[in-house]
Amino acid sequence: MIYDLIIIGLGPAGITAGIYAKRQNLDCLVVGKSFGGQMMNKSVDIENYPGFEKISGFDLMEKMREQLVQKGVQIIEDEVLEVKKKDNFFKVTLSSKEFHSKSIIIATGSSYRCLGVEGENNYLGRGVSYCTTCDGPLFRNKVVAVIGGGEAGFEAARFLSSYASKVYILEKGIEVLASKSNQEIVSSLYPKIEVILEVEMKKIEGEEMVKKIVFKKGEDEIILPVDGVFIQIGYVPASSIFNGLVDLSNRNEILINKETCETSTQGIFAAGDVSDGKVKQIVVACGEGAKAAMSVYKYLNKK
Amino acid sequence: MPKVRLFSTPICPYCMTLKRFLTEKGIEFEAIDVTQDIKAQDEMIEKTKQSTVPVLDIGGEFIVGFDRELIIKKLNIKD
Repeated sequence: MIYDLIIIGLGPAGITAGIYAKRQNLDCLVVGKSFGGQMMNKSVDIENYPGFEKISGFDLMEKMREQLVQKGVQIIEDEVLEVKKKDNFFKVTLSSKEFHSKSIIIATGSSYRCLGVEGENNYLGRGVSYCTTCDGPLFRNKVVAVIGGGEAGFEAARFLSSYASKVYILEKGIEVLASKSNQEIVSSLYPKIEVILEVEMKKIEGEEMVKKIVFKKGEDEIILPVDGVFIQIGYVPASSIFNGLVDLSNRNEILINKETCETSTQGIFAAGDVSDGKVKQIVVACGEGAKAAMSVYKYLNKK
Repeated sequence: MPKVRLFSTPICPYCMTLKRFLTEKGIEFEAIDVTQDIKAQDEMIEKTKQSTVPVLDIGGEFIVGFDRELIIKKLNIKD
C-alpha cells in the first residue's frame, strides 16, 4: 500500500497535521517513537494554550492523542530510522517495518541538547537523565544537580524538590536565564534549591551509579557529591536523519516556506519545532501542522 | 507466555507508549508505579543497575526503555 501521506512525529505539530489530513480524507499514517515530545517533559503547567487556563503537558497531550485516535488515524509508535525518496514516492523505514507514501510531513520537534562532558553518556540512565518527569521520582531523598539555569532548569528543579533532599542548579553564566517570576518562586518557596553560578562542568563520575560531579568555578576545582544529574540546557532540532534529504539551516532546522511549510524537496513538508520558524510554541507547532496538512492536500490534488 | 511486569512512573512518555503497545498486542501485564511501590523501585534499580524508566520484566529478563524490536522478539509476538 502507498499512503497519501506519512507524518513523522507525535507531538503537537504531527498530531494536528494528522487530524487535518484525516478531515481531508487522505490515507495517512502518523509515526513517531512516542507521543508528546517536549510537552511530556514539562514539569510545570502550560498556561498559554487557548481553551485551558492551566493544564499539564501530560494532560494536554492525552487530549490531543485521544482526538487523533478518535478520528481513526492510523498510528504507530516506533522510531523512524530512515526516509528515502524513490522516484515519486518516499520509503519510510521504522525499527521493524517499512512504509511508502506520496508525501511526507516532518514534525519531529527537538531533542535534548547534550552537555558533552566526560561521563555523560557512560552514566546515562545510571544517574544522568534528560527527562525530569520520568526519572525524577526515582531520586527520593537523594541529592541531585540540574545543569542549566534557564526556564527549563528552574522548572525541573522545582519538580525534583518534591522528591530529592537537595537540588543544585548549576549555571555556567554569571546570572541565570530563568524568568524573574520563576526565580522569585524558587527563592521564596523552595528552600531545598541552591543555585551555583559560573560553573564550568568538567565530568560526571561514579561507580555503578553517579556519585559526584566535578566542575571549575573560577580557579577552583569543585567536587560535588550528587546521586543524579538532570541536564536541562535546551534543545536541538531533531533533524539529523533528514540531513541530505531536505535543506537545513546553519542551526540544523529544516528550511520551510512559511506560508506552505514546503521544504526544499518536492513532496516533503515540515512543521513545528524542527522547522526554521522563529517562534517555538505549542500553539505555533499546531498551526504549522495544520498548514502543512492543507498544503499536502493541495500538492496531491495538483499531481 | 512468561509473566510480564511493567515498572513505570506516572508522567513518562515512553512508559505510556510501552503500556499502549502491550495493551494493543493483548499482552497481560502487571503495571507497577514505582513512585508508590518503593520495594519494586529498589528491585528494578537492583536488577537493571539503572535509575530510569520504563523497565519491562519478561519472565525475569529486564529490558530498559521502549525497545520495540527487542520486546517483540522477547515476547515472541508479531508486529
